[in-house]
Amino acid sequence: MSPPTEIQTRRGVVPFPAYLPVTTFGKKYPLDDLVRPYLPRLAPAVMVSLHYARQMTMPPRIPLFIDSGGFAALFKGSRVEEQRGLGVLVVQPEKGEAETLTPSEVLDFQERHADVAFTLDFPVPPGTEPDEAERRLGLTVANALWAVRNRRRPDLRLYACVQAWDAESARRCARSYAGQGFDGVAIGGLVPRARDLDVVLEIVDAVRSELPDLPIHVFGLGNPTTVRALFERGVQSVDSSSYVKLAASGISWGREQVPRDLSPPERLRLALSNLAIASGATVGLGAQLWLGGAVRPSSPAGGG
Amino acid sequence: MSPLSLNPAQLDVDRRGLLSCGFHCVLQMPTGSGKTWLAERAVDEVLARGGRALYLTPLRAQADELQERWLERFAAVPVGAYSGPRARAGTRTEVPYHRARVLIMTPERLDACTRWWRSHWSWLPEVELVVVDEFHLLADPSRGPRLEGTLGRLRRLNPLARVLALSATLGNREELADWLGGVEYSSDWRPIPLHWRTVRYRRAQDKPEVVSDVVRACVGGGGRSLVFVQSRRRAESLALHLAAAGLRARHHHAGLAGPVRRSVEQSFRSGALDVLVATATLEMGVNLPVRQVVLYDLQAFDGVDYRPLPVWSAWQRGGRAGRPGLDDRGEVVLLAPTWSREADRYLTPRFEPIRSALGQPAALAEQVVTEVATGLCRTEGQLTRALGDSLAAHQRRLPPIHGAVRTMLDAGMLAIREREDDRAPQLVATRLGRIAVRQMLAPETVLRLARSLEGPEAQHWTFFDLLLVACATPDAEPRLPVDFEELDELSLLLGRERSSLLTDLGRAEATLGCSGRPLLNLVKMAVCMRTWTRTGSVEEVAEETGAYPFEVQRLRESLERVLAAAQAIVAPVGEEAARPTLVVTDEPDLRERIKALSVMVEAGLDEEVVTLTLLPGIGPALARRLALVGLSDIEELAVAEPDDVAAIRGIAHGRAVSLVAAAEDLLPTRSAWCFKESGPTLRTTQGTWPPEVEPYRLFRAIELKVTKRGAAWLVTGGSDPHRVERTQAGLACDCPDHARGRTCKHLLAVRLADGDPRLQQLVDQLGHTATTGDLDLHALWLDLSRRASA
Repeated sequence: MSPPTEIQTRRGVVPFPAYLPVTTFGKKYPLDDLVRPYLPRLAPAVMVSLHYARQMTMPPRIPLFIDSGGFAALFKGSRVEEQRGLGVLVVQPEKGEAETLTPSEVLDFQERHADVAFTLDFPVPPGTEPDEAERRLGLTVANALWAVRNRRRPDLRLYACVQAWDAESARRCARSYAGQGFDGVAIGGLVPRARDLDVVLEIVDAVRSELPDLPIHVFGLGNPTTVRALFERGVQSVDSSSYVKLAASGISWGREQVPRDLSPPERLRLALSNLAIASGATVGLGAQLWLGGAVRPSSPAGGG
Repeated sequence: MSPLSLNPAQLDVDRRGLLSCGFHCVLQMPTGSGKTWLAERAVDEVLARGGRALYLTPLRAQADELQERWLERFAAVPVGAYSGPRARAGTRTEVPYHRARVLIMTPERLDACTRWWRSHWSWLPEVELVVVDEFHLLADPSRGPRLEGTLGRLRRLNPLARVLALSATLGNREELADWLGGVEYSSDWRPIPLHWRTVRYRRAQDKPEVVSDVVRACVGGGGRSLVFVQSRRRAESLALHLAAAGLRARHHHAGLAGPVRRSVEQSFRSGALDVLVATATLEMGVNLPVRQVVLYDLQAFDGVDYRPLPVWSAWQRGGRAGRPGLDDRGEVVLLAPTWSREADRYLTPRFEPIRSALGQPAALAEQVVTEVATGLCRTEGQLTRALGDSLAAHQRRLPPIHGAVRTMLDAGMLAIREREDDRAPQLVATRLGRIAVRQMLAPETVLRLARSLEGPEAQHWTFFDLLLVACATPDAEPRLPVDFEELDELSLLLGRERSSLLTDLGRAEATLGCSGRPLLNLVKMAVCMRTWTRTGSVEEVAEETGAYPFEVQRLRESLERVLAAAQAIVAPVGEEAARPTLVVTDEPDLRERIKALSVMVEAGLDEEVVTLTLLPGIGPALARRLALVGLSDIEELAVAEPDDVAAIRGIAHGRAVSLVAAAEDLLPTRSAWCFKESGPTLRTTQGTWPPEVEPYRLFRAIELKVTKRGAAWLVTGGSDPHRVERTQAGLACDCPDHARGRTCKHLLAVRLADGDPRLQQLVDQLGHTATTGDLDLHALWLDLSRRASA
């Protein structure tokens, strides 16, 4: 048994390995509005977080991956609660009433808009108390199993989320998904552990050993060096917003020096350059991108 | 078309994979060798990938022609054609940009799209291919810099777009490809080879007969001829001459209204004409069944002087002959004097290099302000990098950006905005700068308007004065030349105008920034536009003023933008704009009059009909319709029966009632005569001149250059070089004017060069001619004040 070489979605086929750029909707990240129209030419699909997908007015022309927004559990004032055996995220903003996010709300939105959906998961940041870590893992698994049983749209591809802190916990989590009917599995919570690539790869290996025939997606790791290692290890897809976040800060994956005071079109060009370098996308040879120079190994790792 | 049916050049391009290689590409191939087919092929590939393609052509007629053809060729996708700077209100038949997968545009429209790039973000990034036809337009002093600025913006906004540049006549193809960072290809293969030959004439006055013979020979062999000349008047007179010689001939030039031009082209296509006599209008784009091209004039007027026709221009013109599918033979005939070998250089396609004109101060200033106002650049560093990618920079013809920024800061088009948290200050466009960019005008135009309108005397200016001020801006075009013979007619037309500005010539010259003949040109332009506001008929304006209908239309279009800028300049800002509107009881102020004039120019309305547009819901088009049924001002409308108003098509009864009520409400503050002007009309004088010599010929003679050639003289600097010889009867010139028995300017020039004391005395006498207090048109034409001071 081996994982598939592509995934068929409602809006087309996504060949593997795939580097999925993250985009947002709304006014918070204006550079995303400039970059988004170009994504169909540089990527096979695009990743949007549920929070931003809710502000989407016009969906991209390529397959849309929508995650659950569970990363908000990392935000200050957020908490993970158990309700009727499932995990619910409660986010308390500085002002106003608390907002909740349930597996049902997540799946309902994804059913309407996503081509590929990810179950509601709860990251386990380094330093989490063991009991809390186990609780989050358990609720993550419960939400995933609930989602796969309640999926209504047959062509919605559903990925179960793995949240773990080491290879052993990852293996346990992944084992719960074997034979349950998922279309793929996604590993989250690796961004704060990305500096230790060995740990990351061990977790990937553990998941692969339990789920040999499912495509594996890794959330939030977009640094070209890391991505290369992940793809070599048999990961099918990754997503990252690093290409655009770094561009907004004037950092290039393609060459050491870019001008300091970048104009909006220069930031756009830098974001596209970063994405082309990370994804290995083929661009026209006349493209006005900053592709020269070697990949800078010391560039910050991707954040998702 | 299958590979088997490709011509060798197309096959070569195809085999090399130039259309799909991903590189920018400069393709140089002769006219009629299938460049457009290659472009279509490239568009096919883009469409197959689901992308969009953009095709730029400088010619509106070609944009329309292509759309017609491509609606069939690319039937599976929406094809849109967009010409002119913007879509005209009320005539919107264009496919919405975001729907079109193939967009055919003039550079001016793309310029507008890149200036408002945020509004066009739904489609601009999806453009994968930009075909730039007639790439040599980059060297055009007027349109070239805007094309270059536009392409630069497009490439920065869409760094993935690929450029396919097409031209038949580039002298520096490799350099241009290098600038684009692409590849180049050239071929001189032509499916129907062109045969170039020179036909010599001995005297310039023989040219019409010589060309008659040349054309007749072609027509006798079953072909049709296209004769290129240097001026519209010459096109008309030569067409008459050829018609008198028994040929079916018509003239064709940019002065003709669009439908007339198309009708002439259609007559030629259908075989109803043997020969067309044309100016540069037919140099590019339009395909006609021409076997023979005759280059009648090898000199062209470049706006200042007559200069030798560039080789690229001669070959563009020659390329109209022998188009595949239209004729199976092609020849180019050069008409040249027996005593000069100048024409020989045209026989070899050694084209002039394309030199960027973006480095010109005015052009650079416009691009600098545009970049800042559109938010694409905010610092001098960003501007330097953005314009550093230009052809001008590539050719080391771009002055330091700092100077242009400084000039625009000093002029008040740009300002520096300090920012908090120690961030570097940014450049921002001022209100004037934004007005210039929004109306797509040169900064100089807006600055001139602002300077003129802020003075107290502007409050007393008439509509005619305001038109003069608008016409004096660099963006008012076309300039309308005034011939000496037209002065009497112009004097009559001026007799019905009221002007505060022209009553003091010195002040007028200072305000309008010109004197002499250029000032007369402005006067003619303003007369044309004022006549248009009175008649609403382009044909009547043309008939009355001697301008061509197409010139009147173009002038109106350009003045619409200039007057829109004038309106914005005098519009209240800040606190003044926020103040509640008071009941107006005074006469219309400058702002209201400029607004009224804008509507009058836009729709051809007079100062009474325009009062209808003071009412909410009545635009220029409805005002025109109301006037046609006799409701020609607000007073007429106020006393009209709503039932009568509702009888007009498109006006419901309820609306008619409210329009009549609104007119009644407005009457206490605005009458039907509120824009009517009073006071004396302009008085002109013609001056007095010595009878021995025609003064304008003498003045033209002063400007000519005389070179002694053995026993004869070569006289240059006019529309044609001429030869003057000493004969037994005295001096003789080979020009048609002399042949008609007149003392021509060439002969006078020779006499002046020879030190003729009588003529010199006349020149001195002309320079000191006294003028009366009235406007002296002759003195203006001869530019006496400047000559006297010189």
